[in-house]
Amino acid sequence: MTTVVVGASSGLGRALAEELARASHELLLVASDPRDLSAIAADLGLRHAAKVHTLALDLAATADPGARVLAALAELPAPSALLLPVGQSRVDDDGSLGAAATGQLLAINLHAPITIVQALLPALLEARGVVVGFGSVAAVRGRSRNMVYAAAKRGLQGFFESLRHRHSGQGLRVQFHRLGFLRSNLTHGMRLPLPAAEPAQVASQVVANLEKASFDRHAPRWWALVAFIIAHLPWFVFRRMDA
Amino acid sequence: MSRKRGFALAETQLASFDRSTTARCHVQRPDRYRLLEALPADARRITRGGGVSFVGASFAHDSVVQEMGAFDRLLEFDPEQGRLTVEAGARIGDVTRFALSRGWMLPVVPGHPRASIGGCIAADVHGKNPARDGTFRQHVEGIELFDAQAGWVQLGPNQDADHFAACFAGFGIPGLMVRARLRLVPAAQAYSLRSIAVANLVEAAEVLRSHANAPLLYGWHDGRAGRFGRGAIRFGLEAKDGTTGKHRTYPDLPETIAPWPITAWNRIGIAAMNRWVRHRQFVAGQVPTAAALFPLNEARRYFAGFGKHGMNEAQWLLPHASYAEFVAALEAEVRRLRPRISLIASKLFEGKPTGFSFDGSGIALAIQMPQPRQREQAAFIESLTELAIIHGGRPNLIKDSSLQAATLPRCFADFDNARNALRRFDPAHVQESAMTRRLGL
Ligand SMILES: Cc1cc2nc3c(=O)[nH]c(=O)nc-3n(C[C@H](O)[C@H](O)[C@H](O)COP(=O)(O)OP(=O)(O)OC[C@H]3O[C@@H](n4cnc5c(N)ncnc54)[C@H](O)[C@@H]3O)c2cc1C
Ligand SMILES: NC(=O)c1ccc[n+]([C@@H]2O[C@H](COP(=O)([O-])OP(=O)(O)OC[C@H]3O[C@@H](n4cnc5c(N)ncnc54)[C@H](OP(=O)(O)O)[C@@H]3O)[C@@H](O)[C@H]2O)c1
Repeated sequence: MTTVVVGASSGLGRALAEELARASHELLLVASDPRDLSAIAADLGLRHAAKVHTLALDLAATADPGARVLAALAELPAPSALLLPVGQSRVDDDGSLGAAATGQLLAINLHAPITIVQALLPALLEARGVVVGFGSVAAVRGRSRNMVYAAAKRGLQGFFESLRHRHSGQGLRVQFHRLGFLRSNLTHGMRLPLPAAEPAQVASQVVANLEKASFDRHAPRWWALVAFIIAHLPWFVFRRMDA
Repeated sequence: MSRKRGFALAETQLASFDRSTTARCHVQRPDRYRLLEALPADARRITRGGGVSFVGASFAHDSVVQEMGAFDRLLEFDPEQGRLTVEAGARIGDVTRFALSRGWMLPVVPGHPRASIGGCIAADVHGKNPARDGTFRQHVEGIELFDAQAGWVQLGPNQDADHFAACFAGFGIPGLMVRARLRLVPAAQAYSLRSIAVANLVEAAEVLRSHANAPLLYGWHDGRAGRFGRGAIRFGLEAKDGTTGKHRTYPDLPETIAPWPITAWNRIGIAAMNRWVRHRQFVAGQVPTAAALFPLNEARRYFAGFGKHGMNEAQWLLPHASYAEFVAALEAEVRRLRPRISLIASKLFEGKPTGFSFDGSGIALAIQMPQPRQREQAAFIESLTELAIIHGGRPNLIKDSSLQAATLPRCFADFDNARNALRRFDPAHVQESAMTRRLGL
């Protein structure tokens, strides 16, 4: 069986690839640059004797990413797990982005994950497999930063809710991790109001949960309290929040 | 600065391992290949590997620091020939563990397991017996480098050979090394370690010379007046059966070690520590290879004990001919100035000095001292530098923060040529660190 990781070249995705290789999964790794993917594949092969395949694909410039992933799987064992730690945010996402940049953010954070899930769904249902999505604390409540990103992540959360509703009882496990801050290049140099988790630590929890039933939860778990507070802050307080 | 997806800079305080140099820097942590290419060609920068140099070699307050930690992957391994291609951010401790698990090893590894392959090339480091195994350059077959102007270049002994040679003891100036192909040797399963007591540093040199073929060979010595040079030469031979007794394994020495609030290495502390080292030195037995290669994993408290004022390691390579005279003069200075020397380490070298590399034929002494800025300590360091220069000594630039630009032309007769051989590949001085500035490189 193949485990597909979309957004595997850095941060959480790379940590997931490592964790899955250690657990002897055969992998298909997806990201945009073949140089990153081949380096990761070689390393996982040498350190963990893992079978690793790669697909270099710019998700912001591909009309049907799902079809491309499906085609790459044609020669491989059927997929039983799909993990989507793909994402992008930008500092200038403050409502002033042009159409092209907005389209790219939506493509990477929403359109690509949805189309890939849809393309792989029949095989995942057949395998009674698992699909794992990643949301963000940014989506808890819309703010003046990360406007398109937060909207996309909230959209993705909605899609995963629907997926779970549609397929509950059919053997497909639908897992959604609403992530707090991670120590990756997405947050490098930012002044964060709360501590950032190490991708390796989150990855090991995600992989440990793969066999569990469907869920939608915060990771690390204590972010649930933060999200609750943000969601319930009175407007006059929330309005002044900067971070 | 760059619009490439994932490009980010963080303002971070960085410090050299000896705590002599600190700076607030703009740090980039590239984790994808396109991010190595993201800086404008004229942006001042310096590469940082493990960041475990004693001196401020991998940062400067106005250079973008490109931290290579994410480029730590093993790329290709030939189990028949013992060839390993790795990314330059891979740590020497990790590479060693991988190689040992396949029956191979790198014959030259520096004392700190978190030094990166890039850092080992850029400082042309030496290992446990440079007289036998040379320096790191002897074990590298090829380098892939990103040059701010020229882009990606492949270097080797027969491919752009001058640029390849400049990378060794190039201190990051000839460009950002991204990949290297290493030549491994069959691994020893364990080493049988022994020590020979020596009464002084001249005797130490004799013992070193008479054991020149031992795979592991170095000395530890007392630096106090009255006991100056007393210590032991430790040598290790490949164990025949590979069995080891019960051996405690230590985690890798961390990159940064939190200093104790006070300096432990006052006269009483130094006396106690020397007693302890003496006791440890004479423990003989068979030790697993990884533990024998990284004995400093046990030395975390030793480094913490220098406290927040830090330390200085002055390492000089003295030609055999002037060594005894140098040692006598140094001992006299120690008697006169009574500096606090926490430890002295000795090694034998039989190489060829090239550029700024720490190599040549002679005996190297590494002298570690607490609180190098204190008046008496600074006076001794100055006097040690003078003595070493007078006796034809060659300094280790990657270790000694006390060295200044004016000193270098006195130590390297071909200073201008050596500097030009590096700057030829960076005429615009794009690659600059606190160290290259201090030394006028
Ligand atoms: C406790 C301790 C023990 C030591 N023992 C030894 C020893 O036994 N023998 C010995 O020779 N040295 C020894 N050293 C020195 C150490 O090995 C060197 O300073 C080495 O360069 C550190 O590697 P690093 O990856 O931390 O390099 P950094 O400190 O990050 O950088 C050192 C230099 O390398 C350059 N550099 C790093 N990576 C790259 C790259 N990818 N491309 C281009 N340039 C790069 C930097 O710009 C800088 O000039 C020791 C140091 C300590 C602290
Ligand atoms: N970091 C945080 O604090 C944080 C907080 C909350 C939620 N999250 C979410 O957690 C997940 C992982 O975040 P991270 O910090 O690990 O991110 P990251 O390090 O930036 O990794 C993002 C991954 O997505 C891939 N990707 C982005 N755009 C792509 C494109 N156009 N085509 C192909 N691949 C593309 C990247 O690959 P290439 O760049 O190689 O193409 C990379 O592998 C994301 O969904 C993110 O939104 C992160």
